[in-house]
Amino acid sequence: MNSHQAPLRPVAWTIAAFIIAALPHLAAMPAWLAAGIVAACGWRLAAAWRHWSPPPAILRLALTGLAITLIVLAFGGLWGRRTATALLCVMLAAKMMEMFTLRDLRLVASVSFFLIATQFLFSERLLYLGYLAVGSLVATIALVRIQNVEAGETDSAAPGAEVQAIGSAATLLLMSVPVALTLFFLFPRLAQPLWGLPDQVMDGRSGLSDDMSPGSISNLFLDDSPAFRVEFDGPPPPVDQRYWRGPVLWDFDGTTWTRPFFSDTPSRQFVPEGDASLTYTVQLEPHERRWLFTLDYPVRGPEQALITVDHQLLSRHPVTALTRYELVSNPEFIDMPDLPEGARAAALRLPEGRNPRSLALAEELRARHPDHRDLIAAVLSWFRTEEYFYTLSASPLGRHGADEFLFDLRAGYCEYYASAFAILMRAAGIPTRVVTGYQGGLWQAGSDYLLVRQSDAHAWTEVWLEGSGWTRVDPTAAVSPDRIEQGARSVIDGPRHRLDLDWLQTLRNRYDRLQHMWNRWVLGFDHDRQRQFLQKLGLPDLSTERIAALMLLVLTLVTGLVSLFLLRRARPRSTGAVDRAWHAMLRRLQRRGLRKRLEETPLEFAARVEAALPAHGGAFRRLAATYCRIHYGDQAEHEADFIDQAKGFTPRRA
Amino acid sequence: MSSRPDPAHTVGADLRADLERALASVNAVIVDKAEVVELAFSALLAGGHLLIEDLPGVGKTTLAQALSLVLGGSWQRVQFTNDMLPADILGVSIFRRQDEQFEFRPGPVFANVILADEINRASPRTQSALLEAMAEGQVTVDGQTHSLPQPFFVIATQNPLDLAGTYPLPDSQLDRFLLRTSIGYPSALEERRLLVEPDRRRMLQTLQPELDEHRVIGLIELAAGLHVAEPVLDYIQTLVQATRSHAGLRAGLSPRAALALIRTARAHALVRRQDFCLPENVKQIFPHLAPHRLQPLPESGLDSRAVVAEIIEHTPVP
Repeated sequence: MNSHQAPLRPVAWTIAAFIIAALPHLAAMPAWLAAGIVAACGWRLAAAWRHWSPPPAILRLALTGLAITLIVLAFGGLWGRRTATALLCVMLAAKMMEMFTLRDLRLVASVSFFLIATQFLFSERLLYLGYLAVGSLVATIALVRIQNVEAGETDSAAPGAEVQAIGSAATLLLMSVPVALTLFFLFPRLAQPLWGLPDQVMDGRSGLSDDMSPGSISNLFLDDSPAFRVEFDGPPPPVDQRYWRGPVLWDFDGTTWTRPFFSDTPSRQFVPEGDASLTYTVQLEPHERRWLFTLDYPVRGPEQALITVDHQLLSRHPVTALTRYELVSNPEFIDMPDLPEGARAAALRLPEGRNPRSLALAEELRARHPDHRDLIAAVLSWFRTEEYFYTLSASPLGRHGADEFLFDLRAGYCEYYASAFAILMRAAGIPTRVVTGYQGGLWQAGSDYLLVRQSDAHAWTEVWLEGSGWTRVDPTAAVSPDRIEQGARSVIDGPRHRLDLDWLQTLRNRYDRLQHMWNRWVLGFDHDRQRQFLQKLGLPDLSTERIAALMLLVLTLVTGLVSLFLLRRARPRSTGAVDRAWHAMLRRLQRRGLRKRLEETPLEFAARVEAALPAHGGAFRRLAATYCRIHYGDQAEHEADFIDQAKGFTPRRA
Repeated sequence: MSSRPDPAHTVGADLRADLERALASVNAVIVDKAEVVELAFSALLAGGHLLIEDLPGVGKTTLAQALSLVLGGSWQRVQFTNDMLPADILGVSIFRRQDEQFEFRPGPVFANVILADEINRASPRTQSALLEAMAEGQVTVDGQTHSLPQPFFVIATQNPLDLAGTYPLPDSQLDRFLLRTSIGYPSALEERRLLVEPDRRRMLQTLQPELDEHRVIGLIELAAGLHVAEPVLDYIQTLVQATRSHAGLRAGLSPRAALALIRTARAHALVRRQDFCLPENVKQIFPHLAPHRLQPLPESGLDSRAVVAEIIEHTPVP
């Protein structure tokens, strides 16, 4: 075998480490790019097996150039996380073509550690922690195998070699745990994130959007990922009160409901606290927008949050990381007992020339029910008694969407009902606005928190009534009470059923509980929590610099302890008391400037000691001879004497 | 050396005493070369053969003669020349007219100690005859096999400088010799003694045999029984492994070489009056046992002696 070419096993492990690290990124890449990367790995593996030579430099250069060009074309530039990670993957795949020395292997294995960690730029889910652990283990095994070859391992295919390498790698990783924990607890957290993540953090996965048109909410119904989790200080509110307020929409252009200009200007104080106030903590998954979902109506919000006229709680910056906030809501608050003219106008505006049949129906209703409350009750009972269905497979609507829905289709989902209802109300002269957000949630009994998923997204309306102000009316509830009582899943049919197996559901819930803990205690370990943690340790009010200093201190300590452990293990099999006494004696001599070189035998060293320290040399020579008799001979009778004499041996400078 | 064993040891005490006298005798003649004498005795007691490479006049032949004389038994000296034939070494079958049959006339190889002087002057064919005899312990002439006497010890000399018209031993046959060593010039002080003292040739004549065949065989068995502790075995193995993973060598040492190393280290321990093997013994033997069995890659420009020294320099003593 050519001694300059890396043997098969370390190459295979290195490629495995790279593939594991790249896999999540490959899934998000154009298929042809992923296929190219896998092909490069396959080629390298075959080359190691068949002892092929590296391709000529010009070919490597050309392929790399081509790959970079294709990335630029496919991603439209070289910026952004997706592009950067794809570029990293491609560069490593290109490296495969020239990965022929141990040094190259080591480079690829080391960068694999970084590559696998970049997945956290895209998702902070708990599952990835396990994946990260596996990936790190494989990369470490690769490094161990490389090291073994370098240390002169002759037969890398020996049967015990893999097991031994896996063992060493696992030990190495375990030894890194104390360092990782120190960094986790003590790395100074900043009150403000140091840098913002660029957009598209949702990575194609959508949260609730800031407008509402047919389909904008229902496309979330199939998304089971968590939107947020809520812990209540007291008992949770009843199911039909769990309306999580998000964007409030006033403007309607015929197809789409949007937020009005005044929604962006924070203008008001929070509402006053009441007797029925609820206190709860929301743990919001990043959704790249500014809403902080609340129950009606928020009394207090987190610092930095803004409240709008229509009680939307907004964060100052898009929520790009898991965010935790404590809230107090007062459900009994009466919003706008008097309706200002501007608000009334905004809440009655309808586009011209749309939905003539609905407008006619509204006119008729208005004539029949002069009282607004009667009119609303009549429309809801009409929805309930007539043949209206709640379905997810509704057809798209045309120019007169509300007309088509109300008179022809008679089947739709919450956006259809909320939109049509709001149009009817406005046409009948009742100020109405559409509210989107989430409704319901799954109570996790064991862990006492409410899990609200993307599939719980919902739209409802608020009408303004004399005496009770803005009042929530949910037309969907009239058509499909199940939707409100049991959540969206109860009305979703078809292929979803296979996911509704009981045990699978239980498993999902268990996993979500773990994820909740992970979010709460690990991802949520922010600036404030770090301060609290330090306070519990009796270190209140440390500045960032001091926390950093503390971290360095503890890190030094931890590293020192780990190194000590390693040194003890690495010391030549000094198990017996004789060896300990001998090594202690060597250390004392070392303090006198006489260090036994590794390649020196005890007696050679003794001769050197005798030359350097004539006063002690004779004694040491005799001790060394005795040590040799015990260590290399087959006589054990001198052990006790030797230990006594060795302990009494204290060299002094001549 | 400082590891004098307890006087209590009894294993082969009289054999050891004889060995000591033999060493003393040789050292009296060969001035200032105690290490070389120890190596020569180690090769003998490990049951191997010795190759001495050095310039003329430094005492190769004197050493070999002194050894032969002290060991007792029969000894032969063969001065190799380029017109020598295998039969000149192995012996010939002669037709005896009176008995009407062939009689084997043993050659000089039939002795306990052979001094093969300037072995590289002989043709490869003749060299091979001797080397085969050394390897097999027997000689086959005209289809008849004749066993060589026991113990059988060859001391060959070779002049590494005067190479005109010679046939240096091929690499593949060098390992028939257990150890390869050189003698070197004596120190100034010892050379002065050499000049003042009586002629070496006359001193040789005064040497008495201190051993005989049976005692040598007894000593060989005694050496083979010496204790080698785990750490020393580890050390040997690490050294051998190091030759196998050296980028500048064509191939590493074979397991047979490793076995030879243990055997010789034991013999060296016995020669040094030890009861067990020390790393020192291995360290002394290795530079004389390994280099002629290792071939550096031609393009590396390395010398195998330097490689071996470097390996020792980098191998920790356990």
